[in-house]
Amino acid sequence: MSEIATTSSWRPRSAWAGFAKPGRQGRAGAEPGVILDLREGIGLATIILADGQDEALARALSERFGFAPPAPGAAAFASGRGLVWAGPGQWLAVAPSRADLAGFGEALAGLAAVTDQSDSRAVVRVSGPQARTALSKGVGVDLHPRAFRAGSAAGTGISHIVAQIWQLDDAPTYELAVPRSFAGSFWGWLTESAAEYGCEVRGLPR
Amino acid sequence: MRIRCPYCGERDNGEFTYLGDAGGARPDGMGTDAAAMHDYVYLRDNRAGVHRELWYHGAGCRSWLVVTRDTRTHEISDVTSAREAGLARRNSGTTSGEAA
Ligand SMILES: [Zn+2]
Repeated sequence: MSEIATTSSWRPRSAWAGFAKPGRQGRAGAEPGVILDLREGIGLATIILADGQDEALARALSERFGFAPPAPGAAAFASGRGLVWAGPGQWLAVAPSRADLAGFGEALAGLAAVTDQSDSRAVVRVSGPQARTALSKGVGVDLHPRAFRAGSAAGTGISHIVAQIWQLDDAPTYELAVPRSFAGSFWGWLTESAAEYGCEVRGLPR
Repeated sequence: MRIRCPYCGERDNGEFTYLGDAGGARPDGMGTDAAAMHDYVYLRDNRAGVHRELWYHGAGCRSWLVVTRDTRTHEISDVTSAREAGLARRNSGTTSGEAA
């Protein structure tokens, strides 16, 4: 009976809960150098190509997203939905909500293995005039515009944490996804790196 | 040391995990003897020089790679996808080697 009481109290919990606090951190002053938007409530799914279905999968994804699945090292977004290259024949689908991915696996049946990852990653959007400088302290790839620009994506190590990073625009605005269980460690690295520029933490509306 | 992943580009070796020798092709277990299987499973050359070896790009694209490296200098002369290397070996029909 006690089990019923316990499970009925379970509630969805943000991957950043207990670590990230909205508000100003680090150096005080007028404009924050780095803005961190917590990406909560979004939908995520991994897509792994089935053998020999390259063309059929590309067609199906193009129909759904309005663009072809991005090439190695690339990400593509339109209307808040995106595909991030994750490995040969593998992509991470990003959607505004988990509900937005309803039926996604069924739609790709026979073409790809689709696995919901909405609860498995902690995702943060990083922008502001010092976003690149702050991230460069630990991101394992070169973020200079000659090497990484809007539409670029990489899986790499950040402070010993496996992470995916993609760039949304030339502002520059980045998004980073880390395994949920590393959210605390990653948050520590990110806010320490951003502190000297002044850092504004914001929750995004669901 | 950096490894140029064919999918991700040049990356720090901390993103990779070393497995070992990429040279040996698995004999057909039904058509060979115990000595050949013992050799395949347990015996390795400890080469001073050019060595083909398997690395896993765990922090990047999670691909297995065949890296050709000089063990004396760490100079890397070639990196290919292990899957492609395995398929090429299978298609050449020389052995029943596996695609990693
Ligand atoms: Zn790679």
